[in-house]
Amino acid sequence: MNEDKSVDRRGFMSIVTWAIGGLITAAMGIPGVAYVLGPALQNAQVEQWIRLGSTSKVELGTPTLFKAKVQRKTGWVTAEDELAVFVRSDNGRDFIAMSNICTHLGCRVRWIAERQQFLSPCHNGVFDRDGNVVSGPPPRPLDRYAVKVEDGQIHILGG
Amino acid sequence: MVARLGEWLNERVGWRRVWEAIFLRKVPKLNWLYTLGSATLFVAVNQIVTGILLTIYYVPTPDHAYDSVRYITTEVPAGWLIRGLHHWGASAMVILAALHMLRVILYGSYKYPREVTWVSGVLLLLVVVGFGFTGYLLPWDQKAFWATTVGTRIAGVAPLIGDSILRVMRGGAELSAVTLARFFGVHVWVLPAVFLLLLFVHLYLVIRLGISAVPHHKE
Repeated sequence: MNEDKSVDRRGFMSIVTWAIGGLITAAMGIPGVAYVLGPALQNAQVEQWIRLGSTSKVELGTPTLFKAKVQRKTGWVTAEDELAVFVRSDNGRDFIAMSNICTHLGCRVRWIAERQQFLSPCHNGVFDRDGNVVSGPPPRPLDRYAVKVEDGQIHILGG
Repeated sequence: MVARLGEWLNERVGWRRVWEAIFLRKVPKLNWLYTLGSATLFVAVNQIVTGILLTIYYVPTPDHAYDSVRYITTEVPAGWLIRGLHHWGASAMVILAALHMLRVILYGSYKYPREVTWVSGVLLLLVVVGFGFTGYLLPWDQKAFWATTVGTRIAGVAPLIGDSILRVMRGGAELSAVTLARFFGVHVWVLPAVFLLLLFVHLYLVIRLGISAVPHHKE
């Protein structure tokens, strides 16, 4: 009907309808995305000093496995989790603490005394006594924890 | 570009005819009361979207139900909004469906040839009430627990078969973990399936038969 390009009544209603629809979709969609992604973006546990045990348990030169219970809150569930950490000292004064979790895909490594190496059984990841990768697929050395010794007790900073 | 893509698709799928049948169909001169059905449909979509989102965190067991709902409400971003929309949407759904039904009754829209539309609508209303009843238990708080205790007891007073109905609803003599799990299953699987089927029939008939006009004074 109209020769000029001005919006007719029907066109105007159509634009308004689509605009309101888009507005409602955004009002539902944006909170929906935040809702789904929220817990994934939340920071992990708060780090704190965890007591592992007495320094006297560490055999000089040999990585010794310590286990500690930690409270972990995931979602609405707070559960007790076990943290396992290898502690090594060559002189009885300086300690290093390494996670027993393989950096490849998260299997637990064990110390093979006769070879003086850590072995991850899943894909044959091998680490030396300092946790450096010797062979296999692991992309980086075993994770280290900060260590402090108080009253003969070893503590690590973890969560 | 978009127009060409639409044309390409239309040639193969024929979506334009579907679009025209749904949105460009002829309707008689109407009033605002005729929007109640669409309003109910809008809230139904809201319930489906927010309901799906709630199942991402909700766990239907006695040891997790209450805590997971509290987690949604207080800790998940916009969780209060999603749960609130679902909670209030449930009430809006019942009210709008009932008002929609009243309009159909008052305007006589249930008459020939729309009887099947009417029957499917009545069944839809029953399904909506079923949604409300089963959904009310899921937060697993005191109100939910006792409301369902009472609700299933009411079903239990039916003569002869009452006790059997009560036991089937509760999954045993007592309200328990079994009750919560089956109410959840009915709420998120059984009722949505029935609802969507009936809704499809209802809308197909509305489009096929067209909408009845407002009754006139004369003739």
